[in-house]
Amino acid sequence: MEALAALWDGAFGSPFAFWSATLVRATPLLLLGLAVAVAFRAGVLNIGAEGQLLLGAAAAAAVALAFGDAPRLVLVPAMVLVGALAGAAWSGIAALLRRRYGVLEVISTIMLNFVAAAMVSWLVRGPMQEPTRVYPQSSSFADAAHWPFLLNGQRLHLGFALGVLAAWGLWWWLEHSAAGFRVRAVGGGARAAASAGGVDVGRTISRVFLLSGALAGVAGASEVGGVTWALYEGLSPGYGYTAIAVALLARLDPRWILVTAVFFGALDAGAAAMQRDAQVPSVVVQIVVALVVLAVLAARYVHARRLAQRAAPETA
Amino acid sequence: MRKVLRALLIIHTAILATACGTKTSGAGDDSVFKVALLTPGPISDQAWNSSAYRGLERIRDSLGAEISHIQTKTPAEFEENFRQYGAKGFDLVIGHGFEFQDAAQRVGPEYPNTVYVTTGGTGTGNNIAALSFAFDEPSYLAGIAAATVSQSGIMAVLGGTELPPVKASFAAFEAGAQSVRPDIKVLTAFIGNWDDAAAGKEQALALLSRRADVIFQNADAAGLGAFQAVRENGKSFVIGANADQNAVAPEVTLGSVVIDLPHAFLLVAREVQEGSFRPRVITYDTKSDVVRWVPNPGLTVIRPHVQAHIESLRAQFVDGSFKLPTAATP
Repeated sequence: MEALAALWDGAFGSPFAFWSATLVRATPLLLLGLAVAVAFRAGVLNIGAEGQLLLGAAAAAAVALAFGDAPRLVLVPAMVLVGALAGAAWSGIAALLRRRYGVLEVISTIMLNFVAAAMVSWLVRGPMQEPTRVYPQSSSFADAAHWPFLLNGQRLHLGFALGVLAAWGLWWWLEHSAAGFRVRAVGGGARAAASAGGVDVGRTISRVFLLSGALAGVAGASEVGGVTWALYEGLSPGYGYTAIAVALLARLDPRWILVTAVFFGALDAGAAAMQRDAQVPSVVVQIVVALVVLAVLAARYVHARRLAQRAAPETA
Repeated sequence: MRKVLRALLIIHTAILATACGTKTSGAGDDSVFKVALLTPGPISDQAWNSSAYRGLERIRDSLGAEISHIQTKTPAEFEENFRQYGAKGFDLVIGHGFEFQDAAQRVGPEYPNTVYVTTGGTGTGNNIAALSFAFDEPSYLAGIAAATVSQSGIMAVLGGTELPPVKASFAAFEAGAQSVRPDIKVLTAFIGNWDDAAAGKEQALALLSRRADVIFQNADAAGLGAFQAVRENGKSFVIGANADQNAVAPEVTLGSVVIDLPHAFLLVAREVQEGSFRPRVITYDTKSDVVRWVPNPGLTVIRPHVQAHIESLRAQFVDGSFKLPTAATP
């Protein structure tokens, strides 16, 4: 009971807990959840959000370190843009492999995750290592590269605002634009979309892949620009994989991803508080988090069955 | 969309409802000495992290402190937890690794009444100190012992990832080995992480297959796999690191290069409690008896004249008449 109280307090118990812990952790999950969702909507199983995040982070860090004397108004948008491009380039490899050689994206994106992690490890020991060349990390960014905070005295940064905008934009794009409709059509049935709708499936899939990678790349830029202010290895504790759960729990709906990302962010922040305040070992915390996710999924399934049962007699 | 808004509204009300309730309970009792520890890995690793936790327990038992521990992974979590502990009025917060130093530099000024100490690193400030261990000194002694035991003339060092103190320790191990056997070969391998015991075992088996017959591992939880590999091989030896790991696989463990973290932590915590704390890089070496080479008492493979040689070098480390040729550990 004390542990659950700590879980709650750590996520929502104070303004600091909510704005600086929960939402800061929710930020990468939000952007990555959107990245995963847009790909899944088109039937592209992009498991590579983790690697695309790392590439975006590395590229944004390179920009921040190279142009530290540029004004913030130029530097921060440049980090967003370059992060997006790097993420898109990384997912573009998987897109190309699929389109040209029919390589399954589940395999290629997972493999590219490992390559990306190794690449960051190499960068922080090689070309981007801090000047004393002792620690495996980059120098800290100049102030101009620090993303602005959204609230006075809280850690919540620009990345969350970008995530909310992206969620809204992506929802609108998927539901109300012709291109979004093609994406959904391809996801619903690629062959039908091609023969009945005249959709260029290959091109649609490649574009979705790039968009997905770009979103994940922005998530990486947002982590280095808004939180760490330097490039480290071990930057992400597997956000790219958690994001798959975030997206699936939201049934790939961008609006719901806003909710599930905050939910997972809260679980994460609360889990830390459980360790700190109630001295619950971290493995137990992970079990509790997994149980909460299972409970939510089960509740939804039961709810759906009840609805079906209620509907059944009427149709009979 | 309405559902989303409703959910957000509920969350928001909940925050408002609890925001006022918890502030008072979070502050705690100011008269109690409170110490927190952040470890980068699991405290079940029987090495770096578990001995840090034993240090925390010793602070609790000896100084009557209230303690808290958290396992953290990412730089973002380091900072967040440093802040949380500062806000809760902890007197001493220990970040167990050089990787915590940036977070300490950023958070320290915000909570001037909390002392932040990182194990390793060089960053200091008004309320920030770093612990530095001359881990290379006992590593050098381990190299001497290992070289005289090796049959094949090939040994290996196996690390988690390429971190500065680990590399310095391996360099000293090799220098020690070559001081008594100039032709000895030392293979180097890194597992790539600190928690995958299966990967650690794979790497150890690969080293054994290249005829290495002594493996000096420094890989925490992943290193436990090396103990398994050497135990199954049966014709080789393993050397533990950070904690006294002689009991992990007593029949094949030559000894352990130990950092007596409980002792070091207690010294720092006592300074903070008594108010005699000064911000600095606090160096612990052979002389302060925090780092030492601990041969496995159950094995008799290290010959007496080697033991005597090691013992005399240890004495020279203490009185300062012998210093390692390599640069000091960062």
